[in-house]
Amino acid sequence: MTGVGTWVLLAYRLPREPSTPRIALWRNLRRLGAAQLLDGLVALPADSRTREQLEWLADSVLESGGEAILWMGQPGTAAQERGIVEKMRGAVAAEYARLIEEATASSSQPAGSRKRTLARLRRELRQIRRRDYFSAPQAGPASAAVEALAASVANVAA
Amino acid sequence: MKWVTRSGPHVDRSACAWLLVRFIDPEAEFLFVEDPDEIPKDATPFDMRGAELSHHGGECSFEAFLRRYELDDPALWSIARIVHNADLEDERYDAPEAPGLDVLMRGLAMVRPDQDVLALSGPLYDGLYEYLSRASELGREPS
Repeated sequence: MTGVGTWVLLAYRLPREPSTPRIALWRNLRRLGAAQLLDGLVALPADSRTREQLEWLADSVLESGGEAILWMGQPGTAAQERGIVEKMRGAVAAEYARLIEEATASSSQPAGSRKRTLARLRRELRQIRRRDYFSAPQAGPASAAVEALAASVANVAA
Repeated sequence: MKWVTRSGPHVDRSACAWLLVRFIDPEAEFLFVEDPDEIPKDATPFDMRGAELSHHGGECSFEAFLRRYELDDPALWSIARIVHNADLEDERYDAPEAPGLDVLMRGLAMVRPDQDVLALSGPLYDGLYEYLSRASELGREPS
């Protein structure tokens, strides 16, 4: 990677109690695959979608009585950016690896449960791909593992 | 009335505009801005930060409209579930139509200006509403 890109950052603070908004925020940040830079500071590579999603989260923090400011910024050095990117890529790679493992393991399941597993893994794959901002190399193998499971389900049905 | 929202309307904003014209304000006129500071005084904002008709409590703007105007048509709430899943990506509802509709609206916004997106998506939502109304009456998917 050469040069640094623009990131959207959310600086936030939420009251410790009640815990519901904290958990909701944590779930949303996890779904988006945001990088937790510090306690109360998260980042995503900026595009119209990530910016909008963090804007809504900023509003929900404010509605819950917290503080939130959205920033657009660039890491000071390419090395710093690489560090964040590698961490995000690693997190997504681990998710792909778990998916491949599950797809492979389920090939020994009975046909009915294999079909249910397939539906779930397809959904999970779609979710992981959405937060795979830096094209982790495991995306291809993960997709292939799920499609291999799909083929085995189709063969049973045929 | 004048209504204002953010430029580049995707599924939530286009669905809200359709809902406005069809159920709330047939004379609705739409403006698009890039920043909340550009909202004209005589226009009502929607699907923008800080607006009443926007995201609240984990719900999308379309849901905010249905609540604010007390629209309880089951077909509209079916559309709300689709828009919610497409816009918030949280899989809260069983709405398999959501990813498809989301892609279609994102794609449309890439090739057409804002006003065209509303004009072109309107009949699509008319059709979706008709389909879901029939499904709601029949208790199953219409043919």
